[in-house]
Amino acid sequence: MTTTIGVGPRSRISAWGAVLAALLVAELIYFSITNRNFFGGGTGMLTQIELFLPTGILAMGLALVILTGNIDLSSGAIASLSSVVVGTRLAAGGNVVVAIVTAILVAGAIGLINGLIVALLGIDSLLVTLATQFIASSFAVSLAGDSPPQGFPPGFVKLGQGALFGIPISLLIFLVLSLITAVLVSRSGFGRRLVLTGHNASAARYSGISVTRTLIGVFAASGLIAGIAGVVLAAYFNAGRSDSGMSLLLPAITCVVLGGVDIFGGKGRIGEVVLAVLLLGYLTQGLLNSGFSSLTATMVTGLLLIVGLVVKIAFEKQSDRSILGAAADKLSARLRSDSKSFT
Amino acid sequence: MTAATATSRPIEEPFSTSGLRLRDIAARREVQIVGVMILIVIVSTIADPGFLSSRVISNVFIAAMVTTFVALGQTFVMLTRGIDLSVAPILGLSAVIVGFAAQDHNLSLWLGVLLGAGIGLVLGIGNAMLVSWFKLPPIIATLGTFSVYGGLQFVITGGQQVDQVPAQYTQFGIATKTIVPGVPVILLAGLAVTIVTALVLRYTVFGRAVYATGDDSEAAFRSGINVRRVTFAAYAICGVFAGVAGVVYLTRTGSADSLTGTQTNENLNAIAAALIGGTALTGGRGTAVGSFLGSVFLSLTLSSMGIAFGIPNQWQPAGIGLLILLAVVADPRARRGGALNSLRMRMRRTYR
Repeated sequence: MTTTIGVGPRSRISAWGAVLAALLVAELIYFSITNRNFFGGGTGMLTQIELFLPTGILAMGLALVILTGNIDLSSGAIASLSSVVVGTRLAAGGNVVVAIVTAILVAGAIGLINGLIVALLGIDSLLVTLATQFIASSFAVSLAGDSPPQGFPPGFVKLGQGALFGIPISLLIFLVLSLITAVLVSRSGFGRRLVLTGHNASAARYSGISVTRTLIGVFAASGLIAGIAGVVLAAYFNAGRSDSGMSLLLPAITCVVLGGVDIFGGKGRIGEVVLAVLLLGYLTQGLLNSGFSSLTATMVTGLLLIVGLVVKIAFEKQSDRSILGAAADKLSARLRSDSKSFT
Repeated sequence: MTAATATSRPIEEPFSTSGLRLRDIAARREVQIVGVMILIVIVSTIADPGFLSSRVISNVFIAAMVTTFVALGQTFVMLTRGIDLSVAPILGLSAVIVGFAAQDHNLSLWLGVLLGAGIGLVLGIGNAMLVSWFKLPPIIATLGTFSVYGGLQFVITGGQQVDQVPAQYTQFGIATKTIVPGVPVILLAGLAVTIVTALVLRYTVFGRAVYATGDDSEAAFRSGINVRRVTFAAYAICGVFAGVAGVVYLTRTGSADSLTGTQTNENLNAIAAALIGGTALTGGRGTAVGSFLGSVFLSLTLSSMGIAFGIPNQWQPAGIGLLILLAVVADPRARRGGALNSLRMRMRRTYR
C-alpha cells in the first residue's frame, strides 16, 4: 500500500481541489448574474473579498497547526490583540513600521508560549489554546480600554483598504503569505517535519525529527501569522477593535478543514486551503451583497462545512465507515454483481 | 480499564478504587477542588470581610447553575472522547423559543422545561447523527452546527428579544426563593440533576458503556458494546442538558436575544468547568460531581476576583484561562509525552 504524505505527486490535481475550484467558478458566475453590484468590471470583484481576507490569513497559520494534528483556538484572540497593539502604538503617534513589527512580535510571543506549553508539557493543544485564547482576549480588551484606538495614518489604512494596480493590497498580502506557506509546507525541511509529525508523531520521533522543536516552531508561526491578520484587520476597520479577531476563528477553521486538511494531521495541501478561502469569502460576500444578514452567511458556511465533510468522509476508505460510505460500498458491490450476472 | 492504561504508559501513583486510603482520597479531583475552594473563600474573606455572607455564597452557587447544566451534558460527550462546541447556540435557541412562548402565550414553567429539553434533544440528535452516523470528527461537526444553530437562533428572533418573562419563571432564578431554608430552589434542582447524572454514569449499564467507549472504543466494541449507539446517545443527552440550561438561563436573567449563549461563550465555560472538575478530553475519565464542582469553582473564582479583590471584569476571561491551565498542569494524567515529561522520566531512571 502506498501512502502519500502531505503534498503527494505534484503534477496531479486532486479530486477535492477540482471540486473546490468548480464550486468557486460556479459561485462567481451565479453571483455575477444574480447581483449587478457583484461583478464590478473584474477589479470590483477582487475588492469584494477584502473583508474576508484577515480570515484567510488566519487560516494559513491554522493550516500549519492542523497539519501537525493540533489546533490553535487562540489565533483569533491573538489577531485581536495584535490589532489593538498596532492601534494603540499608532494612536500614540508611533512609527508605522515599528508599530506593525511590535504587534506581530507580541502575537508571535503568545504563539511561542502556546508552543512551549504544548511541546514541553505535552498538554493537548485544544486545552492550552483554549486557555490562552481567554488570556489573550483579556489583554486585548483591557489594552483597548473604553474607546478603542482609531483614525490611523492613510499609509497604514491602505494595507486594509488600498489597491495596487487594481488589486487590493490585503489580497496581495494574503497571496504572498499563502505562497510562502505553500512553499514552506511542500518544499522545505520544516514542512516535511511538520507534516510527518502530524502523520505519526512517534514515527517522526523515531526517525530523528525533533517533534518538540517542530511544534514550538509551528505554534510560533501560527501566532506570527495571526499577528499579520490582526494588523490587516486594524487597517481594514481603521480601528483597533478588541472583538475583531475572535469571530474569525470559526470561519478560518472552516476554510482549513474544507480545504481538505485532515483535522488529525498529516494530510492536506495549502493550495486547496486557498481555494477554500476564496470559495467561502466570495460566498459570504455574495450573500451579504444580496441582502442576507451576516448570521445567515455564517449559517451557510456551517452547512457547507458539514455537507462538504460528510461527502468527503464518505468517499474515504476507513476501517470504520460512515453510513453513507457503507451504503456506497453496498451499492457498488451490487452493481458489480449485477453486471457479472449479465455477462 | 485500569489495566489498559497501565500497560500503555507508566502511571506514577497507582489508583485503586478499593480501600479508601487517605492518599487516594486526597488524589481525587473533587476533594482537591473543594480544598482549593475553601482556601479561596478564606483568602477572599481576609481581603474583604463582607465576602463570607449568605448572600454572596448563594449567589456564587446560583450563578454557576447555567454552566452546571451545560457542563453535565458536556461530561457525557467528553467521556466518550468527544467535544460539543454547539451547546452555546442550543442553549440560546432554547432560551429564545421558550422565552417567546412564555412571554406571548404564557407557557407554564414545567411545560417550558419540557419544551427546552425537547428543543435540545432535536438539536443534540443533529450533532449525534453527524458524529455517530456520518463519522465527522466531533470538533468539526459541532463547529459546523455551532454556525447553523447560531444562524437559526438569529432567524427565529428576527431582531426581537425576550424581555417580559412571566414571574413564575424569574422567581425560580433568585436566591430568596427557597423550599429548604437558606438553599435556593434552583440550586436544589441543580444538585438533584447532578446526583441523578452521577448515579446513571456510575451504576447503570449505559453509564459504564459511556466510560468504556471513551476509554478505548475498539475494546468496548469488541466486548459487545454498541459504540455507535452510545456515542449517539451521549450527544443527544448533551443537547437535552443544553436545552434545559436555556430555561435555567431564562429564570436567571428573564431575558434572551439572538446572541444569548454564544456571546458569553457558554460552550467554552462548560468545557472549562468539566476540565477543572477532572473530566479528560481524552475520554473515559471524569464525573458528574466533578463537573458540578468545576462550575461552582469557576463562579466562586470570578466572584472572588470581582468582589473581594476588585479586579475589573475584563480580566475574568484571563482568570478562566489560567484556571484551565492550572487544572490541566496539576493533572499528571493529562500530560502525554512532552519533552519535560520524558526528561523527568529519564532522570528518574538514571538516578534511581
